[in-house]
Amino acid sequence: MAEIVFGSNTMQLLIALILVSTFMILGSTRLYSCVRAFGIQSFLLACVAGIVAYSTGKNDIYIIAVLTLLFKSIVIPYFLIYIIREIKVKKEIDLYVKISPSLIIGGGLVVISYYLIRSINVISELSSFALSASMSLVSIGLFIMISRKKAIMQMIGILIMENGLFLGAISLTYGMPLLVELGIFFDVLIAVLIMGILIFRINRTFESVDTSILKNLIG
Amino acid sequence: MSVDYLFFGIIAFYLIGAVSAVILNKKDAICAYTSFISAAIAALLGIIFSISVIFGDTFSYNLSGGSYLKFGFFVDRLSAFFILVISICVFAVSIYSTGYVREYFGKKNIGYLGFLYNIFIISMILVASADNAIMFLIVWELMSVVSYFLVVYEHEKPETRKAGFIYIVMTHIGTGFIMLSFLIFVGTSGSYSFGTFAEAGKTMTPLLKDLAFIFALIGFGTKAGIVPMHIWLPYAHPEAPSNVSALMSGVMIKIAIFMLIRVFFDFLGATQAWWGYVVLTLGTISAILGILYAVVESDIKRMLAFSSIENIGIILIGIGASMIFFASGKPVLASIAAIAALYHLLNHSIFKGLLFMGAGSILYSTHTKNIEELGGLIKKMPKSAMLILIGVLSICALPPFSGFVSEWLTFQSLLLGFNLNETFPMIILFISAAVLALTGALAAYCFLKFFGIGFLALPRSKHAEHAKEANTPMLIGMGIFASLSVLLGILPFYVLPVLERIAASFTGNLESFTFANFATFAIPSSMISLSTPIILALVFIFMLILSLILFLINRKKQPVYETWGCGQPVSTSRNEYTATAFSKPVQMWFKNLYRPARETEVTYSTSLYLKESFKFESKIEQVIERYLYEPVVGFVITRSRKLLVIRTGSIHTYLGYIFGTLVILFMFVIAGGSS
Repeated sequence: MAEIVFGSNTMQLLIALILVSTFMILGSTRLYSCVRAFGIQSFLLACVAGIVAYSTGKNDIYIIAVLTLLFKSIVIPYFLIYIIREIKVKKEIDLYVKISPSLIIGGGLVVISYYLIRSINVISELSSFALSASMSLVSIGLFIMISRKKAIMQMIGILIMENGLFLGAISLTYGMPLLVELGIFFDVLIAVLIMGILIFRINRTFESVDTSILKNLIG
Repeated sequence: MSVDYLFFGIIAFYLIGAVSAVILNKKDAICAYTSFISAAIAALLGIIFSISVIFGDTFSYNLSGGSYLKFGFFVDRLSAFFILVISICVFAVSIYSTGYVREYFGKKNIGYLGFLYNIFIISMILVASADNAIMFLIVWELMSVVSYFLVVYEHEKPETRKAGFIYIVMTHIGTGFIMLSFLIFVGTSGSYSFGTFAEAGKTMTPLLKDLAFIFALIGFGTKAGIVPMHIWLPYAHPEAPSNVSALMSGVMIKIAIFMLIRVFFDFLGATQAWWGYVVLTLGTISAILGILYAVVESDIKRMLAFSSIENIGIILIGIGASMIFFASGKPVLASIAAIAALYHLLNHSIFKGLLFMGAGSILYSTHTKNIEELGGLIKKMPKSAMLILIGVLSICALPPFSGFVSEWLTFQSLLLGFNLNETFPMIILFISAAVLALTGALAAYCFLKFFGIGFLALPRSKHAEHAKEANTPMLIGMGIFASLSVLLGILPFYVLPVLERIAASFTGNLESFTFANFATFAIPSSMISLSTPIILALVFIFMLILSLILFLINRKKQPVYETWGCGQPVSTSRNEYTATAFSKPVQMWFKNLYRPARETEVTYSTSLYLKESFKFESKIEQVIERYLYEPVVGFVITRSRKLLVIRTGSIHTYLGYIFGTLVILFMFVIAGGSS
């Protein structure tokens, strides 16, 4: 069954689109378009969960799909936009790594992830596609956190990583127990809230959300 | 079944003490009474429990039935003996504490102290009764951490915090080695249960056995305060509140000795003779170094802490000798040496507890523990002085007090080395005996200084002048220990059969000694005998004659004049002998060890002949700390500073480290997967 689900063309397309949305984030210079791309990514992820739920017939996963749609693709992006408006941050992204090298590195990470998943023999050919995409999401998310200066981009980076983990979990297990999933949702929500508050505080203290200023904190 | 109830009754009463201390911590006096009295009741139950185990069956109780991790309690004769020692000490110290903590009323949180105190004792009892390596390590850590909090109870003082830091670092290094040792056993036996460790000890390769021995010796040796792992002890014991120091010095370091016996004899079977040589040598070094540092110390509690190192050394000498005899197939001799060690352990718990409580009383009434600022206390606090004198005589190993019997037994067991056929162990045993003799002499010197300078003559400071007698609970607590010291010295033939049963449980000695004779105890097969009542009588006769002579000499009282003082008897405290001066000869004899540094500073008023002030400062060096620990610590610190460059303070760099590691690990997996 697993191979039917993840082998289907729709699924492959969705996963490919998720990767594309990640590259949208990596390639954009505007905060708003990053947030929007993240919303799209989460929406596609909800679709993946919906298809898995439909083909396995587990009701739990429907709930998860709906929650993903609700929180990750609507609530969190709106919250991020709210933060951007409130702190009146400049709309451009400050970078450590320029856009074109970023895209090349992102591509390299996808290739590494693909080979990495391939080298684990236990996983079947078809579901390994989803897993390598999830691995790419995690590593690109981390890369975004490193290469962008604004604190909001660090937030988006960690959310991308979270999405990657979600994709990996659902492609390996076809839905973890509902309780666990709910726990993770709650976790992400609280994390976003705390990070939002932290960004406000960083902004108030340093009058900027550029995290490279935090270097001054070293004792 | 009743033993079960007794065991859990002990735990329950300590827990009641701990919980009530927390609940009642608003009312200092009630809090102190409930928590410490509860501990004393638990200690009484503990005494009954341990005696019933020593004379009855071993006690074991399983908490959970899982096959992999079985948590349970196991108390055989050896652990029962240690629970007995803990309980005796706790009983007296708890009564003492109800009086001693009055010092802290209104200043410190009594509930916090009472809570930690009870939890500390529970952890020690659980250490002695744990039946599983995991459970053991948990309660062992609990004991270490709680005792750390007790050490830093007076955390306002910077030196207390420093002491606490050294203690917690050393104790964790020790625990690390203990874990290594246990892991070696687990690797062979495949189980964490102590019961299987003994089986594992039989099947292990010699190399693994040696490693397990060395790791256990370092690990438990750190807690016991064996040289060179002792450096935390002279810092931590003096800084703790005195009732806690009495427990730490009296009991906690003995728990480490318990585990050493457990590991060496029960788990490893004590098959290698060289293990015995190592233990004996370390014991001898600890004894002599401990007392040498104690002699020149003028802080009372620090001096007592160094003396604890000395006594742990003496106990280890007994254990080492026992291991040597055991390995060369002489269980009877092994048993005698083990009895000597156990007896000294019991005695040391009692007289060191007494002396630490005495130091606490001095601190309580004079607010100083510097011996130079005392003097004349025998007139201000006569009852405490008498009790402390008994402790002093005991620790000096003078008959008819308890220290004498056990040190005498240790000597005898060392001299029994001539029964061995090999030359090398004989030489080691005899050298050890010689060093032990020197140690005894120095101990007498050290405590003569303590009592003579601290209690006799005239008060040397305002502190000592305004000293007053300790309060009743403190005197009762000290009195219990003092009377036990006397009883253990006069009536060893009631104690030795009990110790023989315990020693037989791990040395496997089947031959029964005869202690039946009331007046003397003798071990026929090896011709040791001692008659304490006769010694007591001799001491009495000697004292009688001495006092008669003194009375005859002093009949003509000499008149005392005050005026110009030419040829007059000493009349002010400025003319008195000081502690530093008293220990000066020893400092000179052993100056290669102490490496003393002295600074004098003289200021003159008008001419070179009119000195205005004279400042004298003298310091000695802690050789092991200086030449063993400081280079290592220095090396680690300089290397760490060089590593500081990777701490940039930038979040992006830190994330970059994670990212880089991740990518490298990816590559590693890919390379591994494709090959």
